[in-house]
Amino acid sequence: MSEATVASPREAKIAVKGLRKSFGTNEVLKGIDVEIAEGEVVCVIGPSGSGKSTLLRCLNKLEDISAGHVIVDGFDVTDPKVDINEVRRHVGMVFQHFNLFPHMSVAENIMLAPVELKKATKAEAREQALKLLERVGLREKADARPASLSGGQKQRVAIARALAMNPGIMLFDEATSALDPEMVGEVLQVIRDLAAEGMTMVLVTHEMGFAKEIGDRVVFMDAGVVCESGPPAELFGNPQQDRTKEFLSKVL
Amino acid sequence: MIAGLVGMFLLLGGSAAALAAPADSGVEGKTFVIGTDTTFAPFEFRQNGELTGIDMDLIRAIAEEQGFAVEIRSLGFNAALQALSSDQVDGVIAGMSITDERKAIYDFSEPYFESGIQMAVAKTDDAIKGYEDLKGKTVVAKTGSEGETYAKSIAGQYGFEVTSLDQSATMYESVKAGSAVAVFDDYPVLAYGVAQNNGLKTVTDKVPGGSYGFAVDKGNNSALLAAFNDGLAQLKANGEYDQILNKYLADPTAAVPTTFWELLTESFPALMKGLGNTVLVTAISFAVAMVLGLLAGFMKISHNIVLRGIATTFVNVFRGTPLLLWAFMFYFGVPQLTGQPMSIWVAGVLTLSLNSGAYVAEIVRGGIQSVDPGQLEASRSLGLGYGKSMQKVVVPQAFKMMTPSLINQLIIMLKDSSLLLAIGFTELLYQGQQIYASNFRVTETLLIVGVIYFVAIMALTKLANFADRKFNK
Repeated sequence: MSEATVASPREAKIAVKGLRKSFGTNEVLKGIDVEIAEGEVVCVIGPSGSGKSTLLRCLNKLEDISAGHVIVDGFDVTDPKVDINEVRRHVGMVFQHFNLFPHMSVAENIMLAPVELKKATKAEAREQALKLLERVGLREKADARPASLSGGQKQRVAIARALAMNPGIMLFDEATSALDPEMVGEVLQVIRDLAAEGMTMVLVTHEMGFAKEIGDRVVFMDAGVVCESGPPAELFGNPQQDRTKEFLSKVL
Repeated sequence: MIAGLVGMFLLLGGSAAALAAPADSGVEGKTFVIGTDTTFAPFEFRQNGELTGIDMDLIRAIAEEQGFAVEIRSLGFNAALQALSSDQVDGVIAGMSITDERKAIYDFSEPYFESGIQMAVAKTDDAIKGYEDLKGKTVVAKTGSEGETYAKSIAGQYGFEVTSLDQSATMYESVKAGSAVAVFDDYPVLAYGVAQNNGLKTVTDKVPGGSYGFAVDKGNNSALLAAFNDGLAQLKANGEYDQILNKYLADPTAAVPTTFWELLTESFPALMKGLGNTVLVTAISFAVAMVLGLLAGFMKISHNIVLRGIATTFVNVFRGTPLLLWAFMFYFGVPQLTGQPMSIWVAGVLTLSLNSGAYVAEIVRGGIQSVDPGQLEASRSLGLGYGKSMQKVVVPQAFKMMTPSLINQLIIMLKDSSLLLAIGFTELLYQGQQIYASNFRVTETLLIVGVIYFVAIMALTKLANFADRKFNK
């Protein structure tokens, strides 16, 4: 599945070392160390303002990194010599508010990157887009405008778009938070299918039940640090830290 | 005295003899290029698109009389004189006063017209019969004219105020409207206006002023000059000269349009030419303004402080100074600094596009900043570079939001282009001014011009909205 050459199966797909991030004088990430193996599904949970979305956005350098290193698929994204556009092609990202391009059709949204980055001709890109739409159950919407779709459909298109460059890693930033409850299920099903296919994934989520179900590991963040992490059964069943217990008592 | 008369008789006889033997005159069968002003009624002005007036009738009659042909070039007063000095024209007839300064560089014919200053009041005004009735009142005169000099020279003696205005037509309107009681203007211009029923009447005698002459470059074209003098004498002798003058200065029913419909049909070709120039200068300027505005708009959102500074300065300078100032600056100021004359089109396009470019820059900046930042993030997260993302994702959406403001800016520019009349650009309102300068139908002409602007702008708005709906679905 991965395009990168993997030296050993143990080698981390994503390695975060001593990551710090400040907005002005406000330090949001205060030294994060996380390693994520290939094929692993990691759910990041924590209260608002704990820095979990910022952590996710540092993984593909949507945020400038103040200190530390982030190594993704063998590339150190903090190295100025690394072409960040190249790295981002290995990392798909799905946003809370979908961020579909409203001036393009559904298929054109998905075709944009392959065509512009010269990975495919228009015809090939369209064929691939239709396959991806098939995968998320929206083939019949290929020529619709995003504005005509429901929230759940939009997010499924956004996932298909993020998959268009064949990434080895997918990042989900509260992908279901903006959805009406009855639409959450269809999006989670698509994510579940990706997990089953062995995609390396990092999900920032408020869906504790889903995190428990899908996650190989759950990371609990609070106040800019990783407070506790472990397999879902352990973290949800037997939290070690007081802050974890307090948070879980509120959300479960 | 008698000897003088005999001498004159002989002279006339001599020229008559020369006429009898045309081979001697040196002008027979030749074509001369004659430069003149664009509009100086009643000496030269356009009627139904044809150049007419005292000067035109005179030079054509003399040419016919003397057996040569003329090709008239309506260049504008100063340009005609420059063309004469550079031998691009053979002679100039443009209601030009014979002065000592001009005599040093040109050879003048015998005076063909005695000008002077005269005062006129509203036709219905029976109170003002002479200068002594002006006490405590206000009169108008044309800025920088002999009329103004004369009015000011007697203002103290008779106790009146002088207000200076730029155009004859405006002065007459202000007298008719009652904001001034009398106008001091060139006798022929005033007499022509009265003859055109401009609502004024003259109440004092003409104060003798300059004499008008036909000019050739010094030392050149002496045959042409001689033929002019000869022909003039012939016309004066056979009464044609008086006919020409009376046609413009005495006959109140001279060929001036009488009904609104006639005014409309006669002024329409000239106004359409003006509209054409208005639309063309606006179209070119808007294209340039879009390029400038896009450039400056992107520079304004750039992370580079130098680029941002340049763009901000550009916007502040051109938003913070009047359009008209730049029109004068480019057309009159810059050529004096560089020594290079600037085409009126270049000056006009620079003025409009730099001013509008500053506003377009702000529209572009606002449009781009109004696009959800998530759009750029989504595009960047796919691996597209900043430029590609702007081009494919942000700008198309920004443009859609910018469209109504840009249409608005285009309409403002089309209207603002009328300010270019101040530098003599022949746009729509300028053409309107030229028309009422010769026929004094100010209100009706302005009404026609206003309707043309309105229709043009409505059509443009409909077109722009149609394009907006078609391309910005």
